[in-house]
Amino acid sequence: MGNVDAIVVKDMWKTFRLPHEKRNTLFESITGIFDGKQDYEEFLALKDINFTVKKGEAIGIIGENGCGKSTLLKVIANIFRPTKGSVKINGKITPFLELGVGFQPDLTAKENIYIYGAIMGLSDREIDARLEEILDFSGLKRFEDTKLKNFSSGMQVRLAFATAIQTNPEILLMDEVLAVGDMEFQQKCMDVFQRYIKEKKTIVFVSHDLNSVRRFCSKALLLRHGEQVAFGDTNEIIDRYVYGIDVEKDTEDLQPDPEINEPRKLKEDIEGDKTRWGNKKVEITDVKFIDKFGRESTMFNSGDPMTIRIKYDVNEAVDDIQIGIAIYSDNDIMCYGTNTDIRGYVADNVVGSNEINLNIHNLTMTEGKFHFTVAAHSKEQAPYDWRDKQFSFNVVKKGNDAGLFDIPCEWKQ
Amino acid sequence: MNKLWDYRHLTLKLAMSEFKLRYKNSVLGFFWSMLEPLMMLIVLYVVFTNLMHVNVEHYQLFLLMGIVSWNLVARGTGMSLNSILGKPSLVQKVYFPREVLVISSCITALLMSLLEFVVFAAFMIFFKVMPSITIIYFPMVLVVEFFMILGVSFGLAALNVYFRDVQYIWAVVLQAGFFAAPIIYPISIIPENYVWVIMLNPMTRIIDMLRGSVIYSTVPASGDMIYIIVSALLLLIVGYAIFAKLEPGFAEEM
Repeated sequence: MGNVDAIVVKDMWKTFRLPHEKRNTLFESITGIFDGKQDYEEFLALKDINFTVKKGEAIGIIGENGCGKSTLLKVIANIFRPTKGSVKINGKITPFLELGVGFQPDLTAKENIYIYGAIMGLSDREIDARLEEILDFSGLKRFEDTKLKNFSSGMQVRLAFATAIQTNPEILLMDEVLAVGDMEFQQKCMDVFQRYIKEKKTIVFVSHDLNSVRRFCSKALLLRHGEQVAFGDTNEIIDRYVYGIDVEKDTEDLQPDPEINEPRKLKEDIEGDKTRWGNKKVEITDVKFIDKFGRESTMFNSGDPMTIRIKYDVNEAVDDIQIGIAIYSDNDIMCYGTNTDIRGYVADNVVGSNEINLNIHNLTMTEGKFHFTVAAHSKEQAPYDWRDKQFSFNVVKKGNDAGLFDIPCEWKQ
Repeated sequence: MNKLWDYRHLTLKLAMSEFKLRYKNSVLGFFWSMLEPLMMLIVLYVVFTNLMHVNVEHYQLFLLMGIVSWNLVARGTGMSLNSILGKPSLVQKVYFPREVLVISSCITALLMSLLEFVVFAAFMIFFKVMPSITIIYFPMVLVVEFFMILGVSFGLAALNVYFRDVQYIWAVVLQAGFFAAPIIYPISIIPENYVWVIMLNPMTRIIDMLRGSVIYSTVPASGDMIYIIVSALLLLIVGYAIFAKLEPGFAEEM
């Protein structure tokens, strides 16, 4: 058992035909033949996917919207067939792509439990034994003989979930269905998920919630535009995703707002600009956030190091320059501020272009978008160039701690 | 096939729930479903006995058996046509052999027809016609009819996913079939030279044998029996071949 592969995907390609005009009738197809035009486009949804999931392993599939995550899951579930290559499955698959598949609104909750259970692979006898548990778990005991159409959508999801988890899956495919529902429901889902992990079920998990992937999955698969970018250790893969290491030409797109990094343009409307002011004796020309791989980025893992590279031009000789920064949370709370003087550093004041780095050892904010202010000013706080919240970066959650900031700590007894 | 056997539970479950749904929403659900063939019976009976002077022994029963067994064809294929297309979530969100959907639709149709045969039995009692031992052929012929319908249904259900007008074409075919098979008239009114044409249609022989075994206490001719079994098998093979060929693309085409 131990070493058997549960899922082997080999050289798998999947293309879809996207008709320009959908031909749904025989008549259209026959006339279409005489047109002689090929009026569909081939859309490459998945390109050369290769990976293996061992029994008892949990893997996460991550990537941007439309990168092929759900398609891949459907191919594994045998709903779509690969165009090329092969997918070998060893074990019984239970797909959780949608909850409540096959629910009949005109039948009662109880009848629906039996139907849905049958679809998910449970026999009547198995459901008989678990009916009480399902009704308890969903909290719908009182409504067991009520027609499903009289249920709220939340109640339907609860009923579906309670039934679905009674199945005894060998291989579990999970799309983001479980991301619906209230806090309590989500917690229940997480508990069940945890239980499956403990029971050493094979799990393929698709999610945008990188934190859950990190928590549950030992391995991850990163997709980009249908291509398999990387497969391996979760933390490593998430880093690659967050920092976009593999995106060579797309770096430009990662800039939060191209105008922010266009000082020339900003200069023109400096008079009316409420986010930038100063006498321009010193001018801040560029700010870059550098990740631990030495690449420019706007996404950072919580707890990772970051270097802020500030470029400034000294246009006129000035006695002293202080470079200051401030970080604001998205709801405008100032989180931190410092400058060269406070830190006992003297910034170069040579006329011409200069560069200064601020090395942050670890980003202690837990998650969210942060706005960044840079200013060059004199000792008397007279601003040369003040760029107020003109820059921003995002922090991606790593642990499960709550709040704005991580405080290094440990429990002891 | 082995794989399908594993899903027999699900197949029956889906068939039963569909069957239940048909009769659930109206108190008189069952009654209404009976009304349609009975109304048809009355109209046809009046027209054909009084205006056309069809001379058949137990014409009421003759007619009703024809209508009910044809209804099984019309309903089975009609429901199966939409069995794939009408259940997108079952096709696109979970996986089980898609044959299950077609088979369960045919079973639902069979269950509904069984109810109609119960009504037919009541008519037999009413007209004081007692069946003889030949009635044992009735279930046999019915089983052959069921598999023939299943074969046609496989092909139609699959084609309908790709070409939506199959359902309209089929409606016309069914309409024509109602008159092409000896449902309202006996084979004897067909001119001698053309009998072989109407006998090509397996439904002709099936209806004839069902009537014979229940109403007229006749034993089916073995030639007829072989003919319908072979045609049912052929239709099943062809229909399933079409289904198997098209099945991989179902989820994408919908």
